[in-house]
Amino acid sequence: MDSPVPYYPVNEFGPLMKGLVIGGVGIFHVFLAQFAIGGGMLLYYFERLGQRGVPDARTFVDSTFKVLVLVSFVVGALSGVAMWFTTIQVGARTIGLMIDEFHWLWATEWVWFGIEISAGYAFYRFGPTLDHKARRRLLAIYAIASWMSLFWINGILAWQLTPGRWLEGGGMWAGFFNPSFWPSLLFRTAVATTLAALVACIVINTMDLPRERKAALIRIASRFAVPMAVMPLLGMWFVAVIPADSRQWLMGGSMPMTMFVGVAAAASLLIGAYVVVGLVLKRLYINGATATLLLALAFGATAAGEFVREGARKPYTVRGVLYSTSITPAEVAALRIDGATKHDPYPLRDQARYPTPQLVHGAKVHRTLCDACHTLHGANAVVELTRTWTDDQLRLNISKLQRTKAFMPPFAGNAADVEAVVQLLRWEAAGTPARWPVSDDPATLAQIKTWLDEVGTSAAGEP
Amino acid sequence: MMWPFASPHSGWLVLYLLTFAVHIVLVSYVLAGTTYALIQALRKKQDPIAERARDLLPFMLGLGITAGVAPLLFIQLLYQQPFYTANLLLGPRWGAVVPALIVGFYALYLAKATQTLRIRRLALGVGVVCFSFVAWSWTEIHLLMQDQPAWREMYAAGDRMYAQTGVLPRLLLWLGAMMTLFATLAAWWAAAPERRRLAVIALAGRAVSALAVVLLVMGDATVISAAHGWLYLMIAAVAIEVAGWVWIRLAPDGAGLTLVTAASTAALLAGVVVREAPRLATIEPPRAAALEASGFPVFALTAVLGIALIVWIVRSIRDRAVPPS
Repeated sequence: MDSPVPYYPVNEFGPLMKGLVIGGVGIFHVFLAQFAIGGGMLLYYFERLGQRGVPDARTFVDSTFKVLVLVSFVVGALSGVAMWFTTIQVGARTIGLMIDEFHWLWATEWVWFGIEISAGYAFYRFGPTLDHKARRRLLAIYAIASWMSLFWINGILAWQLTPGRWLEGGGMWAGFFNPSFWPSLLFRTAVATTLAALVACIVINTMDLPRERKAALIRIASRFAVPMAVMPLLGMWFVAVIPADSRQWLMGGSMPMTMFVGVAAAASLLIGAYVVVGLVLKRLYINGATATLLLALAFGATAAGEFVREGARKPYTVRGVLYSTSITPAEVAALRIDGATKHDPYPLRDQARYPTPQLVHGAKVHRTLCDACHTLHGANAVVELTRTWTDDQLRLNISKLQRTKAFMPPFAGNAADVEAVVQLLRWEAAGTPARWPVSDDPATLAQIKTWLDEVGTSAAGEP
Repeated sequence: MMWPFASPHSGWLVLYLLTFAVHIVLVSYVLAGTTYALIQALRKKQDPIAERARDLLPFMLGLGITAGVAPLLFIQLLYQQPFYTANLLLGPRWGAVVPALIVGFYALYLAKATQTLRIRRLALGVGVVCFSFVAWSWTEIHLLMQDQPAWREMYAAGDRMYAQTGVLPRLLLWLGAMMTLFATLAAWWAAAPERRRLAVIALAGRAVSALAVVLLVMGDATVISAAHGWLYLMIAAVAIEVAGWVWIRLAPDGAGLTLVTAASTAALLAGVVVREAPRLATIEPPRAAALEASGFPVFALTAVLGIALIVWIVRSIRDRAVPPS
């Protein structure tokens, strides 16, 4: 394929926009993986206490909790592979770039994961027959290795939003230890320990012990949820280091984003307050139902946090390098001349549906430039978002996309592409009639070209 | 040329092939072991090989999946565009390998834990279906990656299955090899009479692979010249291995197992090189970002540390385990 831009076949997921697909898999994965990390730390702590004579601590270590940790790290590992496959489905160039840049660090993370799984299985299978020292060391290795997995993957993910000095040629390490590396790492660590503490409270409630002995174990486990109290500070640190435009969207520029920030902050604050005031200071007993409710709240906070992290990157998937359309800033200028679909080798699967070649063209442009974040009629439906706009308003807003919404990338096509998409949206909004006029007025195309030239090919707020 | 891989890809290719070979050993134990345990459960046979397999299968699957992440990483460096394109063409059908593995994993746990024969059979049957599906999917995607002329038409038609005639014989070849690798690994834990049975399984595995090779040759499969040396090495290793299995059948306590293990390791390594050679035509020029990426020293140091820690874990289990009262 003799194209400056690598084209991949595009899959659609019905009414689901791709962000929902990757978000769903990602939240599931993050929740399980972070619990497995915190669970390892908590198991080690209880083992130490048990060996020092704290009653029932050893019983807890060998309880269902150990099985839950095992379940989580296996499903966490598999959902990690699922994340790779899903990212390929929704943004192949993004994952390709991440692999190219950080493959040795990814390989390093894999080694730590291998250590984690070896120690975890060894403890699960042989733990009851091992002496104290070996048990302690196995759990320590498990806990350290699982946290090191987080350490490496966190740097790669944080790089997507804040590449920092990497953009100025600072090299891979500058990209890895980027501005949001430490707040993200501490934030995720606090979430991991909190999840472990909440699951521990549920498991302790299922143990066959008198209430006062359960309460003693719960007080120990709840210490692991105390880091939740510093989440607002970590959240503020994170918000302070992200790019100014992303910060503005979180702080009111984009209401859905602001609402998700609010949900994540409020849920974290509620859990932190309950743990510090209720469990640590007042030494209250937490029953299984309340612990489950708090865990559900933590899941909500995790989901909202991941949504914010994904959304804050827009209009990029890798800040300054790759737009959410999987097109680089340099390629936008070339596509303004050639058109977005000139080199696309893949035909439409439903080509017969369209009554004119212009609508076929429009559908291909939509697939190339819009499909990453929008559907036509489902979630984030572009037909509905634009239904009330006039034709010229539609042409202007698409041509000057990065000015229409600052979290949209610049339009990576020419005037004919813009007009084809406009006609497609109008045709879809009209209920896909069997006949549709071709729009090829030279004056209209000239006006669109003028708008495209005026707005340029840079993202909003960039020179 | 004996070594068919020219730089600058050599380092990634070597790591890809080595980690792929390790992955194959582990998943072979899983697929062939699950099938063997299922057959013995259906026959209502009390069989130490099957019992040991049921006990080890979840652990082996965990290791196999973990080991599989490394070749999955390197394949994205070597064949990024063909691999991603094949992923996208197969779409959700390809993504189904992940839920299949999750279901298979818990089926193995159930098969291990249950005392009810009916549930055990069901769980093992589910495991065999899930793991066979994954093996078939990988065979399919391997061939689809190399069939660039088919991509456009496949996408246009919305096909989610790559029904090329080479898929089934190639899968059969791997299934045969998996039987032999399972037997090799299982024999190290087996008593003399069990080794005799494993020798039969291993030889049957080689026969299945030989049949698959005949089918592939009839279907115009060729081995590219760059891999010829490795092909001869593989044939020689398989011949020695077959002789070793016959020896084990006759004298199960002898040194035959060491010979068989060495020969099957050589056959596997040569085999993965032969498998890779045709795909080299689709290898991409290395991208600048990938070539210039730093971090190898960190990986190398971590790998050394990781090996040391895993060795320590194994020794701890061996040395410190208190015998159950």
